[in-house]
Amino acid sequence: MDDTLSGTSLKKSFGKSLLYSLPMILITFMFISGGRPDFSNPSSALAMMITFILVNVLYFLMHYTGKTDKFRAILFIIFALSLSFTLISNMLEMRNSMSFSQADILECKIPFCHLVIPMMILPAAFTKSIIFPGSILGSFAGIASMVVLWLVATLVLGRGFCSWGCFYGGWDDGFSRIRKKPVIKKISDSWKWMPFAVLFMVALTSALSLGPTYCDWICPFKAVTEFEEVTSVASAAKAGVFISLFAGLVVILPFLTRKRTQCSFLCPLGAINTLSNKITPFTVKIDKANCSECFKCVAACPLFALTQEGIRNGKVSVFCSKCGKCIDACSRNAIHYGIKGVPAGTMKKFSRNLFLFISFLFMAVFSSGSIVNTFRGLLDLIF
Amino acid sequence: MKKIKIIAGIAWAFICLILIIVLFPGLNSFSSSLAMLPFMKINPNYTGGEVAQSLVMDNCTIDIRRPVFDGLFGERQKGFVQIDWRGEIPAEIIDTIDFDFDNNKDFAISINSKSSETILLPFNNKIRDVGISTPTSYGWAVRVNLKK
Ligand code: SF4
Ligand code: SF4
Repeated sequence: MDDTLSGTSLKKSFGKSLLYSLPMILITFMFISGGRPDFSNPSSALAMMITFILVNVLYFLMHYTGKTDKFRAILFIIFALSLSFTLISNMLEMRNSMSFSQADILECKIPFCHLVIPMMILPAAFTKSIIFPGSILGSFAGIASMVVLWLVATLVLGRGFCSWGCFYGGWDDGFSRIRKKPVIKKISDSWKWMPFAVLFMVALTSALSLGPTYCDWICPFKAVTEFEEVTSVASAAKAGVFISLFAGLVVILPFLTRKRTQCSFLCPLGAINTLSNKITPFTVKIDKANCSECFKCVAACPLFALTQEGIRNGKVSVFCSKCGKCIDACSRNAIHYGIKGVPAGTMKKFSRNLFLFISFLFMAVFSSGSIVNTFRGLLDLIF
Repeated sequence: MKKIKIIAGIAWAFICLILIIVLFPGLNSFSSSLAMLPFMKINPNYTGGEVAQSLVMDNCTIDIRRPVFDGLFGERQKGFVQIDWRGEIPAEIIDTIDFDFDNNKDFAISINSKSSETILLPFNNKIRDVGISTPTSYGWAVRVNLKK
């Protein structure tokens, strides 16, 4: 099997990197341009070209440099920003406001997002209906298409969805990268169980009230997408909760700790994705023979998925989102992408190449619509 | 055994590769198939329930929906009935409604469509208060809260 030696570089030559990038170039070209590039609208054509070049340069660099996380994070953060841009500009265009009205709820016009999924499972089982005022087959953020996308991504990537698919994760990922060193170094990692408590609570309350309680009362990302019109004490209180949680868990704590605190301590979908790590074939493995137990990987992990004890035992926990940060931090390549069933320390390059192709392709195609839309919007603003 | 595990792992990884490659081109058809499942419909607490009767007036149509008491395991004690006015909405809507079709009027409602002021006059003790009264893209909608 390949590269069992310590420190084996994952870098590739320029030509080999280009060769590995070719399938991505072809497939993303098909999806971004729709197979037939249209040059009749210059800002659309330019936005598509920028997006196409951006995703493929990032993918190429993953192969060329042998590093994963920083190139993944660039696209992941752009995805989060562009999704908010797309949603907000859509809201402003349709309603002249970032808030939705009672009429939007009555007419089931609220865009659906994957964070609702944990709350709709019990009611769907008992009432045979979806407790969300959205559209089942809508062209923008329809419920059926979002569920299909999440379902397949979770099956294939497990919690990798949280670093390669979620259009919110880029927010706290981004803020966790601003400082070079953390100000707060010690946080008890038992907080990582908190999302399971949140999941239990919101699943129960949503079932009893037949309303998505997390969206109604907790979701920090309401602060950067859309929220209920402030017309009463209750709606003002909700807006206060959304903004405080966003400021605390998505901005301030990630900035001070270099950890993705919202994703680690709050998100109920993150808890479900954690469980799905049991199904996906892809995993992160520790090649104990090459590990010097420096624990740089433990410090690097933004999701509390690694512990010193775990490293000594050669175990990565189910909280891993396969972001690649620990892998990039390890100078001995002792921690690496792997495939379940394949022994640690073997087939490192094969596993990485296959995982990167699958996960990056998902992120590139999923994000391209909103990124193109954002570049087009910015170009229209400038010119 | 070790070999079987390796082959199974790699086979599952390649199935995942195929799944991701077909996901986006097939998204519309996968979504349409999912949408056909019996639970893929919006809960009546959001849609307002099915239209039970449509009354055609001069300039607009009044849709009286079935009362919604839907809960997780059955019916709740409290619910609502939604009335929609579709078409050209006058400055003042004044109507009396028999939502359970027993030939007895259940409430009268008056809505000032400029100020949104809504006054409810209940004719029986099932009627609680006005839950929502709002302009919509099709006209006006009101939810009157009910008890059993
Ligand atoms: S934990 Fe939640 S918000 Fe964070 S990336 Fe995962 S699904 Fe998205
Ligand atoms: S263990 Fe490594 S790959 Fe997994 S979440 Fe932590 S840093 Fe990312």
